[in-house]
Amino acid sequence: MIRGRFRAAWRPGLLAILTLALASVPMWAPRFWIYIATQALIFAIFAMSLDFLLGYAGLPSFGHAAFYGVGAYACALLALRQVDGLIPLLVVGAAAGALIAAPIGALSLRTTGIYFLMLTLAFGQMLWGLAVNWTSLTRGTDGLIGIPRPTLAGLDALNISLYERGPFFFLCLVVAILTFLLLEMLARSPFGKTLEGIRDNERRMRALGYPSFRYRLAAFVIAGSIAGIAGSLAAMSNGYATPDLLYWTVSGLALVAVVVGGARSLVGPVLGAFAVLFGQLGLSTYVPRWELILGSLFIAFVLFVPRGLVGLVRRA
Amino acid sequence: MRVSVAGVTVRFGAVAALSRVDIDVAAGERRAVIGPNGAGKTTLLNVIAGELRPTEGLVHLGEQDATPLPAWRRARLGLGRTFQRSTLFDQLSVAENVTLAVRARLHGGWRFWPARERAVNTEVQGRLEAGGIAHLARRRAAGLGHGERRILEIEVALAAVPSALLIDEPMAGLSGAERRLTLERLQALPEDVTVVIVEHDLDAVFALAQRISVLDHGVKIADGTPAEVRANPRVQEVYLGAI
Repeated sequence: MIRGRFRAAWRPGLLAILTLALASVPMWAPRFWIYIATQALIFAIFAMSLDFLLGYAGLPSFGHAAFYGVGAYACALLALRQVDGLIPLLVVGAAAGALIAAPIGALSLRTTGIYFLMLTLAFGQMLWGLAVNWTSLTRGTDGLIGIPRPTLAGLDALNISLYERGPFFFLCLVVAILTFLLLEMLARSPFGKTLEGIRDNERRMRALGYPSFRYRLAAFVIAGSIAGIAGSLAAMSNGYATPDLLYWTVSGLALVAVVVGGARSLVGPVLGAFAVLFGQLGLSTYVPRWELILGSLFIAFVLFVPRGLVGLVRRA
Repeated sequence: MRVSVAGVTVRFGAVAALSRVDIDVAAGERRAVIGPNGAGKTTLLNVIAGELRPTEGLVHLGEQDATPLPAWRRARLGLGRTFQRSTLFDQLSVAENVTLAVRARLHGGWRFWPARERAVNTEVQGRLEAGGIAHLARRRAAGLGHGERRILEIEVALAAVPSALLIDEPMAGLSGAERRLTLERLQALPEDVTVVIVEHDLDAVFALAQRISVLDHGVKIADGTPAEVRANPRVQEVYLGAI
């Protein structure tokens, strides 16, 4: 009873509809749209990890693409060394994301608010610079190309190839669902409540004996590793890893997805990722300056729909 | 737990918020710190709690030199506090506010899956009832009235079961009935809990405190039993005879 929260019935319903709708995509959508939906799913995983930081831990990271990109490069480097197992490729992405997030978090988390935002942005851009300039490892702006799709023992036996769009889409859907469940579990756990307490009132939490820095760092590393998994999937999906993945606009777009979808909900970022990606695609086909419209929409959401798309669904 | 500060000076630029203050509160003692606005009372609490490093001087908690310890480590030693302006977890429910305090004591927040936490929940329920706010359990802290917030503020601090408790102006802005309730709650604290209370309501101060320290402009001008402090000419001067 005491744990009773402000959680209403809209959430399971929305989740069920979303899952079914997504699962049915390969059955009716044209090939091109399956590809775009795959991209959106990967972006949704990335955005969910950012929502965990922004919505629950209250940390406005503006350099989240660093972990996404590093995950992609780690996956690419391993795949180009003839490792094609799905699990090792995802694990290396997660490990790389966590490994880079730990020192960046340890330094950035000494500040809060706008300073934290600027520091994470700076670290993100440093890594982008590294990806461009460390040509012996990354091949600079050309990027690492020719990454093969992964294999998974059980799937091979069933004669299912991840080279095909349908199965790869399902793979991303499964990873997205697992990510959602993991983050939802964390959010509801004592760890998640502790993060929310620190977000609401760090001073009080410290006065109660919680070492706030350590909790925040743990959240930062967890989010970094999930972003790394998303990066890993992106590298597999595209077949390449380029410095673009680490560029600050990727972090910015993820922030837009979280805010437009609705922070502190984990469902919101998924809606937001699809809205932003499909919006980008639709708009850029017809309008030359689509960023202008995206920006206006973002401002409109911040001002008039603070709870994002999720808030709209809730009211409906 | 004994709480003592020795030779504590806190300078903000050229201003000395505290100048060589010595205050020694024995275990289980009820100590009030009074003084006019700007005397340095809240600064003193912040120094004891570890939110503010003194420019000079030492802070002891029990027998331990706590001067270099961060706030959360001092809390682990058994130091609790309430804040002058209610500092609650606004987005969380009243029950969750208390839960965070109980959990800090029982097992901390390093559990990564939703746990049943029966022991925690039972204790939270009991504490809400004892504080007379069980009916508010599921309300969001942000939506509480001022008096309710002050009471929750104290319950959160008590839920950590501190062996020394710093209380900053618990009576500020409370109605007469709320004052009585808060006073009763504070008087009901276990006898071995050390209390350092900063308060402007002198009736409450004299009802609670065994000893009183008086600060003025960052300097301790008196220290003693309520009767001694009342009789002190410097205190009377500062308080214009109102004491």
